[in-house]
Amino acid sequence: MRLLVIEDNVVLSELLAKGLGTAGYETDLLGTAGEANAALITTSYAAVILDLGLPDGDGLSILKELRHRKDPTPVLVLTARGGLQDRVSGLRSGADDYLVKPFALEELVARLEALLRRPGQQLGSSLQIANLGFDLRSRQASIDDQPQVLSSRETAVLELLMRSKGRVVSKKQVEDHIFGLSGEVASNAVEVYVHRLRKQLFDKGAKVQIHTIRGVGYLIAEEKRDPV
Amino acid sequence: MIRFKSVISRIVILHVIAVAITSVLMSVALSWLLNLATNNIHNEAMEEQASSVAQHIVPQADGSLSLELPPSLKGLYSQPYGRYAYAVTDDQGNTLFSSLDDKGPVFAADPRTSTVQFLETHRGEAAISGASIRRTIGGQTVWVQAGEDLANRDVLIDDIVDDFYKHVGWITLPILLVLLVTDIAIFSRALLPLRQASEIAQQIGPTRTDIRLPVEEIPTEVRPLVSAVNKALDRLDEGFRVQREFTADAAHELRTPLSILRARVETLDDPRVAKALHLDIEAMSRVVGQLLDIAELEAFTVDDSEVADLQAVCAEVAEFIAPLALEQGREIALLGATEPVWVKGNAEMMKRAIRNLAENAIRHTPKETVVEFVVGENGAVTVQDRGPGISDEERELIFQRFWRRDRNQQGSTGLGLSIVQRIAELHGATIDVQNRLKGGAQFSLRFAYAGKKS
Repeated sequence: MRLLVIEDNVVLSELLAKGLGTAGYETDLLGTAGEANAALITTSYAAVILDLGLPDGDGLSILKELRHRKDPTPVLVLTARGGLQDRVSGLRSGADDYLVKPFALEELVARLEALLRRPGQQLGSSLQIANLGFDLRSRQASIDDQPQVLSSRETAVLELLMRSKGRVVSKKQVEDHIFGLSGEVASNAVEVYVHRLRKQLFDKGAKVQIHTIRGVGYLIAEEKRDPV
Repeated sequence: MIRFKSVISRIVILHVIAVAITSVLMSVALSWLLNLATNNIHNEAMEEQASSVAQHIVPQADGSLSLELPPSLKGLYSQPYGRYAYAVTDDQGNTLFSSLDDKGPVFAADPRTSTVQFLETHRGEAAISGASIRRTIGGQTVWVQAGEDLANRDVLIDDIVDDFYKHVGWITLPILLVLLVTDIAIFSRALLPLRQASEIAQQIGPTRTDIRLPVEEIPTEVRPLVSAVNKALDRLDEGFRVQREFTADAAHELRTPLSILRARVETLDDPRVAKALHLDIEAMSRVVGQLLDIAELEAFTVDDSEVADLQAVCAEVAEFIAPLALEQGREIALLGATEPVWVKGNAEMMKRAIRNLAENAIRHTPKETVVEFVVGENGAVTVQDRGPGISDEERELIFQRFWRRDRNQQGSTGLGLSIVQRIAELHGATIDVQNRLKGGAQFSLRFAYAGKKS
């Protein structure tokens, strides 16, 4: 899968290329807005990693141009400016996600994968946390590569949690995901499904933990083995 | 010296003084003119009387003169009437004829130099005013004097003068007052653009530095001031812009090398070295991030009209921080209000403040304990931990920049709480620090409640 990295700092872009290469991506490196605009018109990339501070213009202009052409290529914005205005304007201009420098390469790859797994995007394969796997096409969960039987609602909850690996999923999001807009939802319905899912995963030996963050939501993570 | 705050009041006061002086001066001038006019009339009448007396002087055959007044004139000069008097003197000063009892001249001090002379004299109590004319009759030069007792002066003329003061004189006052009102109206109209400019100036604040005062409508006299104010605003705006740009540039210049460093370390072969370096980079990144936050806060201002949902802000912070807390074996819980709580302020800044409080709490709370966010319906948020709490001596110190209880503790920059304090200041929010009954510290941030939002 080919990515376009638009970053004017040569050292950083080469390191990014190296890191992304290790994760299995090919990259084209460009350092100016002019070159980037030209490349985006002629070539179709799986995703774009865009630094906002470019020598010949604001990175946001590239993004606006891209969205103006109705090009849906996912764009992950890298910014040195953590400032609120920058974030808001970045997302408003059509960025799919943003990372504030300095970032961990691991995080960049994870975010990129999340973008590529979105419906209509190119990464469709499976998600993995510890020994727990989830195939996004067949919507099949597996533990130690053994397929597991889960109810459709439990599957829906698990899919949502695993898609958002490392991030909190709010209770509202879970509700919307499993019930959609279909009528009334019992106030403790989500708790019930999460509880069942947690129990099933535990019983079947999955080395993951579904954390409840009271008042906020849920988070799936690798089980922490406390040093004895 | 009295100082007037308003131009209008200054105009009114000065105008009233001018009106007072003018109306007095005008009355004085008019009455003087009127007196002059009545005196002229009187003098002319006296001259005429003298010449009519002179017409009746007849030269006799013996060279002497005789006076034969008709009865009507005789009555006029009769002593019982007493108002008018005449006398005729020759050039030696001898009185030839006189209507007076003592047969003397009306004006004893007649200089007898010119053809017509207006004279005044006193006779007993009475003030006599009149004319003396020279006539040559039958080869003899005589002076005919006619005088009027001013005490019995022509009643009609006196009435006019009196009437002038009573009625006509007062007309000047209303006219001048009408002028004053007109002046005030003209000035208020002229100052209207200034008032409009002031209203526009009201909107200028740290968050709206782009507004300039309109110059077109402003009177030329005041225009230099307005232009100067606009220029001053330009300079302030520039200052803000430079500060913001510096922060943005500094962020770029500091964070890009850190990203490079981090990426390099991540590709190191020895995972132990990589991990150690990674922690150093993390710590360094935190300091840089917080310093940039502080720099941004220096140039940051809160728009008065901004409101934020404190509950949503806290939920977002909790979501953000929960994975980090779980990684370190601490839990996060969001308690209190579940409905939106609208408070005045900037959501992003609140997020930073609460995040700093939360990071602090996570650092101090022991493993397996919970850091709680409690959102109050009144616009306060409390972040509480189960750490060692805050001693009385530390209460003031904790908000100082770079202050740390343990200078060797990893992950602490000593900047977090000073950021919280600055954000609270910007929002007019209060910070309350307490120790919990069963151990631990709690920090409450109270923002201005913005009421229910429809």
